[in-house]
Amino acid sequence: MINSKQYYLDTFGVTEEQLRRLAAEGLRGGGDFSDLFFENSSFTDLLLRDGEVTSGGFHEDYGVGIRVLKGEKTGYAYSEATDETSMMSAARAASAIADGTASCGDSVAKLIRDAKDRAASYVPCENNGGRPVRKFFLGAPNPAADRYPVLQDWRTAKTAELSAYLMKIQEAVSKRDSRIVKIIAVLSTQTTDCLMYNSFGELKYDTRPLASLALSLIFKQGDKTENKSVSRSYRMGVEMLTDELVQQIADLAVEGIDQRFEAKRPKGGQMPVVMAAGASGILLHEAMGHAFEADFNRKGQSIFSEKMGSRICAEGISIVDDATIPGGRGSLNFDDEGVPGQRTYMVEDGILTSYLHDRISAKFYGVTPTGNGRRESFRYNPIPRMRSTYMEGGNADPEGIISSVKKGLYVDQFANGQVKIGEGDFTFYVKSGYLIENGRLTQPVKDVNVIGNGPEALAGIVAVGNDPKVDEGSWTCGKEQSVPVSCGIPTVLVKNLTVGGE
Amino acid sequence: MKITSEEIQLTKECLAMATEEGAEKARVTLNKSVMDLFSTLNGEIDKVSHCLDRSLTLNLFVDGRYATFSTNRLSRESLRAFVAKAVDASKMLARDPLRKLPDPSRCEKNAVSGDELGLLDPSYDEVTSEKRRSTALEASGFGRNVSGLISEEGEYSDSLYDTLVVDTQGLYCRHTETSFEYGVEVTIQDEEGNRHSGFWWDASSRLSGLKASECFDKALSRARSQIGAKPFRNGKFKMVVDTECASRLLTPVLNALGGGALQQHNSFLVDSLGQKVFSDGMTVIDKARSVGETGSRLFDSEGVATVETPVIENGVVKEYFINTYMSGKMNLEPTVEDVTRPAVERWISPSLGGKEGRLDASALMELLGEGIYVTGFNGGNSNSSTGDFSFGIEGYVFKDGKIGPAVHEMLMTGNFITLWNNLLAAGDDCRLCLSKLTPSLAFKDVDFSA
Repeated sequence: MINSKQYYLDTFGVTEEQLRRLAAEGLRGGGDFSDLFFENSSFTDLLLRDGEVTSGGFHEDYGVGIRVLKGEKTGYAYSEATDETSMMSAARAASAIADGTASCGDSVAKLIRDAKDRAASYVPCENNGGRPVRKFFLGAPNPAADRYPVLQDWRTAKTAELSAYLMKIQEAVSKRDSRIVKIIAVLSTQTTDCLMYNSFGELKYDTRPLASLALSLIFKQGDKTENKSVSRSYRMGVEMLTDELVQQIADLAVEGIDQRFEAKRPKGGQMPVVMAAGASGILLHEAMGHAFEADFNRKGQSIFSEKMGSRICAEGISIVDDATIPGGRGSLNFDDEGVPGQRTYMVEDGILTSYLHDRISAKFYGVTPTGNGRRESFRYNPIPRMRSTYMEGGNADPEGIISSVKKGLYVDQFANGQVKIGEGDFTFYVKSGYLIENGRLTQPVKDVNVIGNGPEALAGIVAVGNDPKVDEGSWTCGKEQSVPVSCGIPTVLVKNLTVGGE
Repeated sequence: MKITSEEIQLTKECLAMATEEGAEKARVTLNKSVMDLFSTLNGEIDKVSHCLDRSLTLNLFVDGRYATFSTNRLSRESLRAFVAKAVDASKMLARDPLRKLPDPSRCEKNAVSGDELGLLDPSYDEVTSEKRRSTALEASGFGRNVSGLISEEGEYSDSLYDTLVVDTQGLYCRHTETSFEYGVEVTIQDEEGNRHSGFWWDASSRLSGLKASECFDKALSRARSQIGAKPFRNGKFKMVVDTECASRLLTPVLNALGGGALQQHNSFLVDSLGQKVFSDGMTVIDKARSVGETGSRLFDSEGVATVETPVIENGVVKEYFINTYMSGKMNLEPTVEDVTRPAVERWISPSLGGKEGRLDASALMELLGEGIYVTGFNGGNSNSSTGDFSFGIEGYVFKDGKIGPAVHEMLMTGNFITLWNNLLAAGDDCRLCLSKLTPSLAFKDVDFSA
């Protein structure tokens, strides 16, 4: 949602001239670039437990972060107040990263002019696969291109109506399975006004809605207990709370619970693994996506550091990081450096074509920032982060993929995973799945791990389904800071991974 | 940068504002922290950051209802509007008669200055930017021309945390502590072009206690130890888990003793209070009030006084963690809401014989003879309802009590109740900079797959 420029200036009690002065103050120590990130976030949460909505509240977070760059070095400070004195103090603290080459007596105009001159060396060449390198992102935000228009702002929602919605979900889900003994439903919303200004003179502003609905159930069957959690999350306003969503999340919550009670741990070992479309994309995010983030590559830590332009997987495989999905949890009109949100191909037809860049890494590599500079809040400096990361669809029939496997594992839900960026080694916890025996899904399995190496697994993909799907759950990436993301994948077959079992 | 007398006054005024607006009872928590950070990349300063945070959390009990609110806009005018809006919003929730403040007799009375536990370094205010910069740079080992070193990322930070909790029943509890930390991650490349990374860190509540200069060598050693790692065969083996990562096996057990999990039947330790569930050798004490020790606290978030007490004693579950609300829901006596500083006591199974002196991972390997020595976990998870787990591991094979080849791409699977019943020994080599004092541990019959 994009309001008028004046709305944001009023929200933070600043003027454009003041922004210019603050950016210049950050450069007074000799920095190349400075930027300001103002944030006013309103959070609400409501919890249904033991049949009633008896817990909830709201939370406010307000402040401005000021960053100064000197080459690839970062100075960062923030203030929880936006009065002139507090902000100037933060700007001076951030400027400490520089070496003091600017004169204390330099005027604001000179500091900004000098920074723009230095910025001329910011864009050395066209070396991003032949694409032109763009220097600035001037121009006002365009409400017509808004990726998350809002019909009703969460800040105007009535608690009683939101509580009633949670009660509706409880009613819908409890009808579906008599084995349910406990239900917890949580509605969390966030609305963030942000305003960004930098020493190039770019002024961007945005209002970002984000809401998540989570349902956790405990089932009892005889003396066995099982749990199941599902969620849905969108950048939408109150209009997200439809009757259709009630039915959808209730269906998802009980889906597969019979199999969960029957599930066993399989015998461990190496075997082909088929990943179901959608949420299995978490493996793509963790095991490959992080290694495409340019900071890990700039520092030489990523296993893909020297692979740009090389074939890293089979023809026909393309991997995208996308900020443009309407209402998507990972979508952004602008990243947190004011760079427009966009769709970035990291792998095209099996060739590594781009890392994910913030302004620092883009300068380092001499490419255009890809709009991946993200931060948890004004308390953090932006770093390269994924948005919605997914693999595009292939040409294989998903049923055919399963039937091609004589003995293997079918994973329909990963719970979480971890990767070592340098080595590429990953481990993912399988919440639910099935054994594949002679091309058919047989014994349900649960609570095992799949372990492997990211590049090897990527190179080991031998079939990609024609059923691409981006999961709509509440995924949050925790690389140093927490940011909302999405992930997705079609049904894929990896020819060999280690599965931990009995 | 500690909480000022004006901020204390403002916190107390918030209670008055809440009752004036119609709340029957209220609790207000003010958190204030300041952190300075200097990070290095390849021996040069890469990032400098200064952070000052204040936030106020308001727990309101209004007309039989309960809600929680927070803000970082702490002017009187902003707070007045915030509290009025919060009281109004609370009225929209369903009534919950079990929500109440804790009985004042259970609350901490002696946390007044905030420094009763001696966790505040008196020299904190004298630490200059230049000192921070030099500590970060001097800890770097990048300039040593280490063969195969690709990158080194170091981070020095120091911080001061100050927390004040007051309520309308007269509660006044304060906790102040400083923390000095340094961590470094190194990435190396072996002769075959494979990358390996290693991380090490240290922390102390006193700057003088920080061992920053030792971190690079330990991180480098951890990275190098992975060169040539291969999967080992599947099977059941004895296992030694290093103190650095052993808390991964204790935390899910402690989580299962929490009231929230128990009340929702989302715990594998339902109905275990007073029961012998684990090995005779498993004893965990909550050493919550140890003066000068990282992780100690005199009170929980409700202001309830912590207690030094056995959580699990000789395998018997002695304590659930039941806050005031869960006490009403579960009809159990309330305790502190969570374990504070759990410590696993030293123990050796009679089947292994005795062992004098320090009982660290090396000593445990000598006792066991052969098995797998786990030095880190890579991913994995557990089922909170059943206690089943599966973790990726890294470490070594050991034979005749000596470390052998490194292993990777291996998994261990099992169930926490079974695992802790197979405890063979618990060492005495805990790192005191960790809040969970879990020493190196030894188990038998652990399933590994590769």
